Amino acid sequence: MKFKKLRNKLADDLEIPNNVVSDNFEMRLQGNNKVIVENHLGITIYENDIVGIKAKDQTIMIKGSKFKIEEINDYIVIVKGVVEEIKIITKG
Amino acid sequence: MLIFKLCNFIKGYVVINLKTADYEKTLNLLRRKNIRIWDIEKLDEGIKFKILYEDYKKYTEIVNNQNYELINKKGVSLKYKDLKLRKGFIAGIIILIFCFFIFSSLVFNIEVVGADNNLSNQIINILNENNISMPQVSSTLNDKNIETILLKNLDNLKFVEAYIEGSKLIIFVKEKENENIELKNNEPSSIVSTKNAIVNKIITKNGQTVVREGDVVYEGQTLVMGIVKKRNSEEFMMVPSDGTIYGKTYYKFELKEEKARNVLISTNKNKKSYFIKINDKNLKIIGDTKPFENYNYREEEIRIPIISRFTNISFLIGKYYEEKQEIINIDEITAQNKMKIKLYDDLIKMCSNDSKILNTSFDFQDDEKNYYLNAQIEVIEDIGKKVRIYPTDEKISDENKENIND
Repeated sequence: MKFKKLRNKLADDLEIPNNVVSDNFEMRLQGNNKVIVENHLGITIYENDIVGIKAKDQTIMIKGSKFKIEEINDYIVIVKGVVEEIKIITKG
Repeated sequence: MLIFKLCNFIKGYVVINLKTADYEKTLNLLRRKNIRIWDIEKLDEGIKFKILYEDYKKYTEIVNNQNYELINKKGVSLKYKDLKLRKGFIAGIIILIFCFFIFSSLVFNIEVVGADNNLSNQIINILNENNISMPQVSSTLNDKNIETILLKNLDNLKFVEAYIEGSKLIIFVKEKENENIELKNNEPSSIVSTKNAIVNKIITKNGQTVVREGDVVYEGQTLVMGIVKKRNSEEFMMVPSDGTIYGKTYYKFELKEEKARNVLISTNKNKKSYFIKINDKNLKIIGDTKPFENYNYREEEIRIPIISRFTNISFLIGKYYEEKQEIINIDEITAQNKMKIKLYDDLIKMCSNDSKILNTSFDFQDDEKNYYLNAQIEVIEDIGKKVRIYPTDEKISDENKENIND
């Protein structure tokens, strides 16, 4: 854990993108219509009103309606729909 | 995104409905295998998503036991694969293109423009003799070569042009006209006799008369000479002769007319026959070829639109009208009148326009079969014709020209 924090700190100090040196996910929002999650590990749940995306240490829960996964591959997942709530659950 | 969709369309993709409950597991499995899937939608029963056709094959191996349904297949490559399967269709298209290419490059018939039937047949025969027969590939036909062959073989042609138009070889020809060399008024000339005659009257306006009234002259004999002696000199000069020479000419006719003649009289009966015409050859379809003993035959050609133009195939309707042979007896007066009319018709063709009949003697005779007319006609007519004293400029050879200039 200490090593992970050290990597994050080093990336911040050297102004290197965080996802290059760490395994953290990167999430972008386009309004409340689109959510782009990079560096993910898979989908945990997919329904019309909820999408769960697994990352290294967290699980992202996106709630809303009319969800559609526009694209999914090894690196990126793009979720389209009406986003109402995003919840990040860290592993206990 | 549009380019991404376009690429997918070119590569080809399939739409799959995955009906299992744990579809998330399948999605993660595919993700791990680095298989790209897109447009994932939740349905009442499972999910629907799109996957590349090439990945779909891998997918079937991975999730072989899963409950899934193939909804649709789209893309250019899949259409191409379908076409590959329809070998007969592709072969048909290739044969069609091949046939189209072959038939469009062939010349099927020869059309001669500016010539009567005899000359047309003559031209076609000459071309056949020179190994130019139809159908032939248009690239092997040399226009200039055809023109040369025709001009070499036919002296009576003034102009020949050959060109290919569609599936026809068109030969445009112009025949030489009989050039009547007209004499100009100021050209030195003589007057010669056109017939054997006895000179009756001489009216000379210019030139030296060399015959007298009452002389017997023969065809081609000079009547008025265009060479006169100069006054007060020993030299001669050439002048244009002018004058009219009337001569008595005698014509003898021997005519014959049959007493009884066979005449074909049409009855009202007729029959039709149908033929298919392929390259001037008639193949009978329905009907008799000779339904009556004596008949008059007429045919009507029915051309099939487009097909007849390219293949020279058409339909013929032949109509046979029955005719009956009857013998008609001709009485003596009718026969005499008929023979006289024929005699005067022939005489008009022989004499000049200002001719006058002096005497006629007719002798009618008959035997068992025929009537005969022996006639002698005495006519006064203009027997003179102007001829040039020396040949025309065109006919003088180069050597003679030089001599004249010297």
